[in-house]
Amino acid sequence: MFRRVLVANRGEIAIRVIRTCRELGIESVAIFSDADAGAAHVAAADRAIRIGPPPPNESYLKSDAIIDAARQSGAEAIHPGYGFLSENAAFAAACADARLVFIGPPAGAISRMGSKIEARRLMSGAGVPVVPGETPKDQSTAALLAASERVGFPVLVKPSSGGGGIGMREVHKREDAEAAFDAARRDAEGAFGNGTLYVERLVTRPRHVEIQIFADDRDQAVSLFERECSLQRRHQKVIEESPSPAMTPELRQAMSEAAVAAARACGYTNAGTVEFLLDESGGETRFYFLEMNTRLQVEHPVTEQVLGLDLVRAQLMVAAGQGLPWRQDQLRQRGHAIECRIYAEDPASGFLPQSGPLWLYREPAGPGVRVDSGFREGDTIPVHYDPLISKLIVSAESRATALRRLERCLREFPILGIRTNVPFLLALVRHPDVSAGRLDTGLIDREIDRLVAESGPVLPMPVVVGAAVTAAETAGTAPGGALPEPGADPWATLNGWRN
Amino acid sequence: MGARSQQIDVDGKAFTVQPAGHGCWTVTSDAGIERVWVAGPPGSPTAFYDGRIYEFKILTNAERPSRGQGDSHALSAPMPATVRTVLVKVGDEVAEGETLVVLEAMKMELPLRAPKAGRVAEIRCTPGELVQPGVPLVDLI
Repeated sequence: MFRRVLVANRGEIAIRVIRTCRELGIESVAIFSDADAGAAHVAAADRAIRIGPPPPNESYLKSDAIIDAARQSGAEAIHPGYGFLSENAAFAAACADARLVFIGPPAGAISRMGSKIEARRLMSGAGVPVVPGETPKDQSTAALLAASERVGFPVLVKPSSGGGGIGMREVHKREDAEAAFDAARRDAEGAFGNGTLYVERLVTRPRHVEIQIFADDRDQAVSLFERECSLQRRHQKVIEESPSPAMTPELRQAMSEAAVAAARACGYTNAGTVEFLLDESGGETRFYFLEMNTRLQVEHPVTEQVLGLDLVRAQLMVAAGQGLPWRQDQLRQRGHAIECRIYAEDPASGFLPQSGPLWLYREPAGPGVRVDSGFREGDTIPVHYDPLISKLIVSAESRATALRRLERCLREFPILGIRTNVPFLLALVRHPDVSAGRLDTGLIDREIDRLVAESGPVLPMPVVVGAAVTAAETAGTAPGGALPEPGADPWATLNGWRN
Repeated sequence: MGARSQQIDVDGKAFTVQPAGHGCWTVTSDAGIERVWVAGPPGSPTAFYDGRIYEFKILTNAERPSRGQGDSHALSAPMPATVRTVLVKVGDEVAEGETLVVLEAMKMELPLRAPKAGRVAEIRCTPGELVQPGVPLVDLI
């Protein structure tokens, strides 16, 4: 096993990796930017090395400085966490050149799965289902129509050289197709200088279900089963859970086999996630390959809680050449786990990221409660990075009990100083479709107005007014009392409510 | 800072507020015991209660938008809001707690209630109007 590992990240994931290192007797080396000199992950590590100024390009993304720090500290391996350099094939290759172990897949697997076209080709070849679609050589309306019929209506028409949703048209009926082709062709020519169109089966109201896989360099690969991450806001996951309410043993088996085949097809080692779209329309459930994430995921604790294991420990063991610590037949799901991401963001102003001091930060506790946090009370959330404060993970014997536990924990998670999405998460957990497990990737965006309205303050609230006034009059008893005013617009103005 | 409790009257209801330490306060009323967390500077405290966040601005007497005599009670919106309905007219006698104006903010209805019994002296808003916090909407004498 390694004696010393550099953790090339910050916040909760750096601390999470450092904790497992300590349990394995590995010395941890943190890195930090000037904005994070006093950060929790720096305090958690055995050593910490300054990398550069606050902007990510000059610090957490600066691969040569990070490799220098690893050499200088005598680390043998680098754990990239998620985000930053975790899916950067050039960084993985640079580590290898510097004789440092990159704790993740080989650079070749990262680049193969990083290209959408290459990944789709590789997956089709390995027998992993992909969303049916084609780019007909003959781009006439008749040929596009024939392609649409082969793919099956409803279809999504999009520019083949496009991106960012530009020029995409949904076509639900055959008779609307011609007009949609013409409009999409015009958009494609205008935006990309190329009118070639691609037609793809439109999956309406899909679920996002992903399979956690793990492979080692001894030709072993296992599935650690699914996580459902359908609750997303603008493609950003908000709540993740396992098992998926839509899962059956047969579907789990089929998706696990496809995910393991995907990992083998790209020469994968270490922890990875194969994301699928689940299509439940038309009476039968089908799944399609979406993409592969070649790193540890933000939502990995959900799998750890349901399977009762430590994925970071396995990452370190596999990277050190010790092979996978478990066989497929030893892996069993037990109970239910749900994670929600606690963000410094303001639901009332379009989820604007917040930065500032955490005057008060108290985590919920109790049986089946895990909080992976990157901050402590008194810390400041910097403006330069992703505003994730912490992740709240609950586990219980059933989905219903886990949801109740999550609701209790959100009601007992006071964070003051900056606005957070805690009230929004509470509204989401209480939504009837969420309780019933009727999830799809569009649910939050469809219900956004209702959810945001329910996350606002309930006024008038004499109980809160009483406490706030008493605290204000007993100056100095409230945390943060000595700090400068936040300068944010008050939601509620206390004005003559006291008689 | 001992466990000294304070009696406080909000909207005519009596509460006992007691420090539970480290920013946590217990608030006891006829309805039961609740826990509220408060932090921030004395002039603009923030509070967490039952999964929701509250932000306050404590106005000094000088900042209070008093209109002339001390016995006139001006009512205003607690946050930027749209006036949905005005339920009273000038000269109406109203009872304490009676709803005078219904506001809408963030898709929620906010009733603006009379803090004391009195007579409506002036109405300073119309339905559909966007009103800012602190601006008087109804004057009561």
